[in-house]
Amino acid sequence: MSDPIGRRAILRAIAALPLFARRAFAFGDSARFIPAVAQHGGRWDGRLSGLRRLAWELQRRTSVEVVPDARAFPLSSPKLFEYPFLYLGGEGDLPPLSAAEIENLRRYLTFGGFMLADANDVSNGTGFDRGFRREMARVLPRNPLALLPSSHVIFKTYFMLDSAAGRLLNRPQLEVCSLGRRAAVIYSQNDLAGAWNRDEGGDYEFEVSPGGEPQRELAFRLGINVCMYALCLDYKDDAVHLPLIMNKRR
Amino acid sequence: MNSTPFNAWKLVSLSPLSPWTLGLLGALLAAGVLLAAIGLQREPELRRRIVLWGLRIGAGVAAAFFLFEPGVRNLQVAHVKNRIAVLVDRSASMNFPAVPGGKSRLSEVADYLESVSSQLSALQDRFTIEYYGFDPELAPITPQTLRSQAARGPRTDLLSALRSVKSGEQSTASKKLSGVLLFSDGADNADLAAGVAGRGRAALVDYQVPVSTFVVGSQGLKDLAVEQIKVDDFAFVRNSIAVEVEIRGRGFKGQTVPVVLRREGQTVASKSIQLASDDEVHTVSFNISPDQTGRFVYTASVPVFPQEVVIENNTRSFALKVIRDRVRVLLVVGRPSWDERFLRGLLRQDANVDLVSFYILRTLSSEPQVMSDRELSLIPFPMEEIFDAKLDTFDVVIFQNFGYTDPSLSVALYEKNLERYVHNGGGFLMIGGDHAFGEGRSNFPVLGQAMPVEPAGRPATVDSFKPRLTPEGLRHPVTSFSQGAANTEQAWSTLPAIPGANLTRVKPGATVLLDHPFQTLDGKNAPVLALWEYGRGRAMALTVDSSWYWAFASHVSGSPSRLYDRFWGNALRWLVRDPDLTTLTVTADPPSVEPGKPIGVVVAARTPDYQPAAEAEVRVELFSVKAQRSVATQRSTTGPDGMSRLEFPPPEPGAYKILAWANKGEKSLGEGEDAVAVRAVGPELSDASVRADILEQIARATGGKAYALAQGSLPEIPLLDPPVVEVGRSKDEPIWDRWYYLITLVALLGTEWLLRRRFGYI
Repeated sequence: MSDPIGRRAILRAIAALPLFARRAFAFGDSARFIPAVAQHGGRWDGRLSGLRRLAWELQRRTSVEVVPDARAFPLSSPKLFEYPFLYLGGEGDLPPLSAAEIENLRRYLTFGGFMLADANDVSNGTGFDRGFRREMARVLPRNPLALLPSSHVIFKTYFMLDSAAGRLLNRPQLEVCSLGRRAAVIYSQNDLAGAWNRDEGGDYEFEVSPGGEPQRELAFRLGINVCMYALCLDYKDDAVHLPLIMNKRR
Repeated sequence: MNSTPFNAWKLVSLSPLSPWTLGLLGALLAAGVLLAAIGLQREPELRRRIVLWGLRIGAGVAAAFFLFEPGVRNLQVAHVKNRIAVLVDRSASMNFPAVPGGKSRLSEVADYLESVSSQLSALQDRFTIEYYGFDPELAPITPQTLRSQAARGPRTDLLSALRSVKSGEQSTASKKLSGVLLFSDGADNADLAAGVAGRGRAALVDYQVPVSTFVVGSQGLKDLAVEQIKVDDFAFVRNSIAVEVEIRGRGFKGQTVPVVLRREGQTVASKSIQLASDDEVHTVSFNISPDQTGRFVYTASVPVFPQEVVIENNTRSFALKVIRDRVRVLLVVGRPSWDERFLRGLLRQDANVDLVSFYILRTLSSEPQVMSDRELSLIPFPMEEIFDAKLDTFDVVIFQNFGYTDPSLSVALYEKNLERYVHNGGGFLMIGGDHAFGEGRSNFPVLGQAMPVEPAGRPATVDSFKPRLTPEGLRHPVTSFSQGAANTEQAWSTLPAIPGANLTRVKPGATVLLDHPFQTLDGKNAPVLALWEYGRGRAMALTVDSSWYWAFASHVSGSPSRLYDRFWGNALRWLVRDPDLTTLTVTADPPSVEPGKPIGVVVAARTPDYQPAAEAEVRVELFSVKAQRSVATQRSTTGPDGMSRLEFPPPEPGAYKILAWANKGEKSLGEGEDAVAVRAVGPELSDASVRADILEQIARATGGKAYALAQGSLPEIPLLDPPVVEVGRSKDEPIWDRWYYLITLVALLGTEWLLRRRFGYI
């Protein structure tokens, strides 16, 4: 009769216990990944549970320490400068930002902040998409959005990816607004966070189409890669990684 | 009144007209004669043609006399003697024996001049014979002085000596030179060192005085010499640099010769060569990789063999400045964090930094939810490669919140390597976090020896605070952002508070630049930024994981701040010992000195806030690497620019360190170090060869002849002749001013007119 839990497995679990018993945390959470969410005049808070889930997955799957609850701030808030990762999402039109919001967001992005923008309404030329493009043209007029090439490091910061799936797959590519060599804004029109969102009962709130659950997993992986890019920049473009990554791409 | 009669004359023109006018009128005259000839071509009678043309030519000649006013210049002249210069090489190589075991080359010349003195005297009815030696300055000599005074010239410059003797600066009379008799071994080490070519040859061709050369010495000497070393002036630390050593061997056919390259006494490379002929130059190439920045004296040497004519040229030293290339930084990150992200962003954009980084992206507890590792972009943590094989290639190693005891991530096996790396000159920086300074699972019992702080054994503080500059921090180049302590303090005050710090104790001997304003340990404020020198290396500890606040949170408002960039830039420069971050610099000027020359030293002193330290007391020691002791000391005071220049008398050949200290009042301004190579032999004695080829080429280029030195026989020497004539007095007498010249002219023209009229031309 076989033992359902082997002795070796038990011993390994016991040996691993101290590793978890002394888990440490950064001082005052400053070094931990805490997503900030941009408050604006539209519907900005539809994906808070998705962000929490993403943070949880980030901690579970990687070495990154997180605080899962997102912090919401107006775009004019100086508190944004304590949270270098900002999520800007919305359904429907994005109302025009105030001059103070534009200036604050411009400083935020210029001096090192990263923003993930997400059209929760999966719009293209209307709704959130129209408003977001309009406001980005005000925030960074000299740095227009451009298609993110599939060779970008975001597709290999942790998971090896070749698509930019979200809740839907309306647009196959992400868009990027670069400041120098750094991607300061990544924009998805596929409701990326919609694939992560959970309802109050703990179930995923939205169906993922057309790929179903595998596509949801890809959306999580893309979210984790985006977070890893925000944290590690182009680390995976270092020469030391290239041979192995190229081998895996084959 | 001079009663001496005129003894010479010459024909001159006394016309007051300008040469241009005379030329024009002469042309008109020629045209008149020519036109007459053309006009007479149709004359069928030859006699008429001859008569008319003869009359026109005669008239033209008479008119020319009229125009040019010829006269006789009576001259009183004196015949003077030209000079012949006997030029003897008195460079140090003339002390070498002319033949193995024989007299010196210079004595050979003295003997020769005595043996041909009567033949030279025979020339004195036409020439003045002048005797000069050059070393390289020209000075009168006699055969006796050649014997009594050893040759001592530090170099041989044949062309310069020839120019000097031609200019006649040393001659008592301004007489022209008819010839030069040059006695030398031909071992020129100036313009003609590479042979008579180019400008040197052009100068000799223009010399216009025949130089007859007499080669002194023979090629039969035995000598082994480090003839030349080819190496760049500077090298990059830990990069390979080629050193090419040229060994010249004479009389050592078949001999195996070991060639050794040493750095200040320590052998860094050696090779053996075999000489295939009796006169051979063999190039030995060494590739060395200096492991430290600074200036170092290297010496290439070959052994001294019996019967060598010169033993001093068996070694040759050079000073090599080793500078850093791009700063090569290894960044090891325990976990992605904002602190890492901003530091990486800064290092990546710095063109002077070559960043190699490894992040722990996944731990044993991570569950990436993948079927295969091929779905992940992760690579194994190459600990052996970076902490063993390639550790010494890095200028700085940074542990950022890194400290694991997990077997797959622990660096316990390599701690000794890291500690030795710092001790041997590397830079090490540990940045705080929940995996550093005893927090979490971090534990570095061996590497910790190199750190300026040690874990306090207490949990990290999580209260926000603004780090406080210590008095040392106000002045230290890592934390001093501006000129003056007040400005630095003000700059730090603008930075935002940061949340929390690891608690550590500072070790004795370490310097704390930033401390915690209210968190104390053992009655002292907890260090936030501490550093020290460990062995030959440097280590720094920053006990916070939120320095990124200085880059990002500081930009909430106001103008852009570069304090974060400057802080980290300063920290890296200090860790790699950037020379610009020392308060005292000492420089040997030049870094390699010929024998017998003094050693120049320039000292630049700065105050701790990097202002020129005027009136600072400077002490400089010349430290012999070979004797391992100080051989001379100089003291001085800096000027208003903080600079001081000193000079040491010529020391023995060898490698020397120049050690400098400076004080301003009771306060030390630090110490500095440089190196200088004092060569055993200069170019003159490094080569005992006889260059008969150069002497032959000189003779050929100037119209002279080349001879071997044959006692008692003065050959037929090419000389310029005749001697020069000098004018003492003159008097002009016109010869045109006679009435019959005019009558003749008129008569000729008149006759021609009459005949032309008769013959029907008019």
